Order: sequence, then structure tokens, then C-alpha cells
Amino acid sequence: MVDALAQGILLGGLYASVALGLSVVFGVLRLVNLAHGELLIGAAFLAFLVVDGTGVDPLLSLLVVAPAMFAIAYPIQRYVLTPVLTRSEEAPLVATFGLSLAATGLFAELWGSDPRSLHASWASSGISVLGVDMRVAYVIAFVAGVLLVAATHVALTRTRRGAAVRAAAADPDTAAVMGIDVRRLYAATFGIAAAMAAVGGVFIGTAFSITPTGGVTWLLTGFAVVVLGGIGSVLGTLVGGLAVGIVEAAGIEIVGGAYRDLIVYGLFFVALTLRPTGIFGRAVA
Amino acid sequence: MSARWMRDLPGAAVFAVAFLILLASTGSLSRYQLDVGFTLLTFLVIAQAWNILGGFGGHVSLAVSGFVGAGMYTTTLLLEKTSAGLTVSILAAGAVAALGALLFSVPLFRLRAAYFSVGTLALTLTAQAAVVNWGYAGATQGISVPFDAVPTQTSLFEMALVLAAVALLATWWVRRGTFGLRLMAVRDNEDAAGTLGVAAFRVKLVAFVLTSALTGLAGALLALRQVSIEPGAAFGLTWTINAIVMAAVGGVGTLAGPLVGVLVVYYGIQTQLESYPELSAILTGVLLVLIVRFAPEGLWGVVTRGAGTLAARRRRGDSPPASVDARVAEPM
Repeated sequence: MVDALAQGILLGGLYASVALGLSVVFGVLRLVNLAHGELLIGAAFLAFLVVDGTGVDPLLSLLVVAPAMFAIAYPIQRYVLTPVLTRSEEAPLVATFGLSLAATGLFAELWGSDPRSLHASWASSGISVLGVDMRVAYVIAFVAGVLLVAATHVALTRTRRGAAVRAAAADPDTAAVMGIDVRRLYAATFGIAAAMAAVGGVFIGTAFSITPTGGVTWLLTGFAVVVLGGIGSVLGTLVGGLAVGIVEAAGIEIVGGAYRDLIVYGLFFVALTLRPTGIFGRAVA
Repeated sequence: MSARWMRDLPGAAVFAVAFLILLASTGSLSRYQLDVGFTLLTFLVIAQAWNILGGFGGHVSLAVSGFVGAGMYTTTLLLEKTSAGLTVSILAAGAVAALGALLFSVPLFRLRAAYFSVGTLALTLTAQAAVVNWGYAGATQGISVPFDAVPTQTSLFEMALVLAAVALLATWWVRRGTFGLRLMAVRDNEDAAGTLGVAAFRVKLVAFVLTSALTGLAGALLALRQVSIEPGAAFGLTWTINAIVMAAVGGVGTLAGPLVGVLVVYYGIQTQLESYPELSAILTGVLLVLIVRFAPEGLWGVVTRGAGTLAARRRRGDSPPASVDARVAEPM
């Protein structure tokens, strides 16, 4: 049970990096990105290309993959999503749904439907801390998740650009009057969210495996984290990630691994409908 | 009959004639034609059903697969485990779907806009995960319709045709009736509609139940067609994708749009690229994005607007750039 809880906490850090991009995009752009799962999977596939081609560690591949994800995501937001953002509530949702569908097809076309994993020297090794066994991959993912959330929080609250993002999130019209180019800021935010998804994607690819159609389950995990942590809240993402990780680990320990999906989705549904604004706290960004 | 209903007479006549011709000609259709016809008709039902809540109600449901799966399992379980007849087993699928919608409307309609969509997705994946672990229904292996209960291809086609007609009639009632006006008012501004005395929850509930019942009935027919069902495909997102793509490409919130969308997406993309499912998915997704971005009224909307522009020019006897009256022509 202690092993399971430790694993749940570590996975929570990974879940935070999976969900952070989703949370930021929702908090700033008020956009529910149904293609977020494909951002994660796409980044993992790109990392696979880099790791397979050069033999570098998956973590180092982020130096290429994160900027690449930014470059892919920026024009999508700028020229496809932002123009439909204010048209109706359904339009951006359907647009990201279409992007998700196209990306899933593209992944299957390019890489086939076999599951793949990123090879790292540390991917399957384990360590023992104070008598508790844990996977090294989970420990690294946890540390990366915590650092990513902390860095995002500091960037949003302590920098000038972060203040601009918060201003645009609070009131895009007023922010525009104050001289902030909201359309470029939106695109940059979406690009950064995609770069954050690259971190989550690399850990998904290393600790688990990726398939072209795997995006939707990670999307749901991401939503569970975002809702539990408070929608749009950066620090809440970490809280939500830990909550999902611990509940999942405890649930599997009690009723068995076959019920993993049922536990996570079922609890998420209950949490979402009981507290649509999130269980813990309110949005800060 | 008011003018609102009267102006649909030509369209209604076309649909009625097409329905009767198709119903009378089932004997002379080949197995292949019956099969394609069945597929088109069931797609039309789920696209049109989605259109009621999604297009007229403004609630993007991602639970189409959940209700198709529920319908599939209801009919198959009744036929395999009980002595219920075919008709009862099919109608029960619609009843179970409607009941599910009634039950889950309470938590789901606490959620607005995008939250609702996420909730319906979570609900569908929860249902799938539950059925995967449901030993009585065959768990991951799934179950099969008993061989002697499977209807002939001709009667499956006829059932799909009747169901499609019911779906069209239901949408027509929404499009022209006062219920639809209330539904669209709630879609456009729920708070304002509420202050005008529209019971928003009840209106959304009726739309959701109607949508779900039709989707569940389509699921029943699809189970009879597939014979063997398993949770992966029964609750698979493909149903949701098809419903949304077909409705949106043709034109959401219109009567003829989903019909156009089914024909374009099925014949224009899925049949042409039958051996290249990945390419088909890419093109479908890109088309959906392009439609939302550049032609939110859908292909049917583009066509009717184009026709309206031409008619306006002809009436004036010259061809200056179309102005206000072009926009008066509203998609049916």
C-alpha cells in the first residue's frame, strides 16, 4: 500500500505536466482544447524520431521537440482557432475536435498503429528510497512536473510578459486597449502550452507507451487533473495531478487494475458535475 | 396551418416521395445497395439526432458513442438472454437511451458549454470502462445476436428507412415548432431566455432525450447488422466523430444539412478512401476545421446562400455585388 501511494504521488507529478498545457490554454484563452491529447502524443512521436535517429536521451530530445511543438501550435492558434474563438461556444470546440481527428489520422499514417516507447537508460530501472520501491522514470517525471508547474507559476506572476498574459486572461478587450497584441499573445500561449505538452508527452512515451489513438485517454486524464485542481489554476494543476495519481493508485490497490479506467473516468465525472468550478481553489491565471 | 409550416411543403413532398420510392423498391435493390443504403440511413439518424441537441440546442455532445453502445447492448442482451421479441428489443434500446439521458441530464446540465462536452466524453468513457468489466455482457469479448433473431438485409434497410424518416420529422418539428424556438433561444442566450419565461432545463432535457432515444435506436439497428458487438467498437469514438463531422459539414441547425453532410462525407471521403482509413481521417478532420473556420453555416448553408444571391440578382435584372437580401435567404 505504501508502495502504491508513493507511485500515485510520483505519477501525480507526471499528470501535472500532462495537464498543465490544457489548464493554461483554458485559463487564458477560455478554449477547451479537445486536441490536447494529440499534442502529447505528437510530441512523444517527435521525440521518438529524435531518440531513434540520434540515440540521445529522451530528456535531451526536449531541446528540439519543445520548440518544434511551439512552432507547430503557434500558427494553428493564430490562423485557425483564434478567428473562431468569439464566434460561438461550439465553434472552437468543434474545430479542436477536427484537429484531433486529423492529427490522429496523421499519426497512424506516418507511424502505424503499433505501440511505441521511448528508449532511455533509466526507463525501466527502479530504486529504493527509505524502503519504498519506485521506478526511476516516475521519480524523474515527478521532479520535472513539479519544476514545470513552479516555473510556469513564477513566469506568470513575476514577469512582465506573465502580467500581460494574466491581463489578457482577465479581460482581452481591455488588455488590447492597453496595447497588448492579444492575437499574438494567444498564439504564443497556445504554442507554450504545446511545448509544455512536449514534457508530458516525453514522459508518457518513456514510462508508458504511445499509440496514434491514445490521445483521448490522456485528454480525459488531463481534464480530470484540471477539474480537480481548479480550472485555469497553475498551482492547482499539481494538486489535481496528485489527487488523480493517489486516487488511481489507491483504487487499483483496492479493487484491481482492470478497473483503472472505470475509477478514473467515473470519479472524474462525479467530481466534474458536483463542482464544475473545481474542487480545490479558484483560477489564478 | 401557419405560413411557417406551409413553406416547407415542397421539401416535405420531395422527402415523402423519396421515402415511398425507397420503401417500394427494396425488393429490387441488390445486397450491396441495401447495405450501403442501410449505412447511409443509420449515419443520417445519428447525425440528425446530434443536430437536435448540438445544432439547435448548442450543446456539443460527445456521448453519441455512449448512446449507440447502450442501444447496441440493450438489443443484443435482450435477444440473447431473454425471450423478448425483435420489436420489443429494438424499442427498448430507444427507451434505455432515453432513460439514460433523463438520468444523466441532472448532472450534465449543471455544466455549461465546453464543460458539458467534457462531461459527456467522461460519461461515454466511463460507460465503456464499465461494460469492459461487465462479465454478464461478455466483458471485452462482447456478445452476439442469436443467429435466428437476425433480420434479413431487406427488413434492416426498411427499419433504417423508417427510423431516418422519424429522425427527419423530429428535426422538422424542432426546426419549425415553438419547442425549437425555445431551444434556439436557450442556445443563443440561456439567461435571457430564462427571463422570458423559457424553462431552460426542461427544454434542454427534452432535446437531450429526443437526441439520445434516436441515437439508441440507431444503435439497436447497427447491432442487428453487425451481429457481434464488443465494447471497443460499440462505445468507440467513431460514432461521435461521424455524427459531428456529418452534421457540421452539411450545416448544423438546419434540416437538410446533415443529409448533405452524410452524402458528402460518406461518398466524397469514406467510400473513396476505403482502403486508406488514415488518409480518410486526416481529410475528414481538415474538412471539419475548414468548415468551422471559413463556412460555419456548412455546405448546405453555402449552397442556399449562393442560390439566394443568384435569385436576388436575377430579380434585379443586373449583377451588382450581392448585398442585404442575399443574407435574407436562410438555410432550411
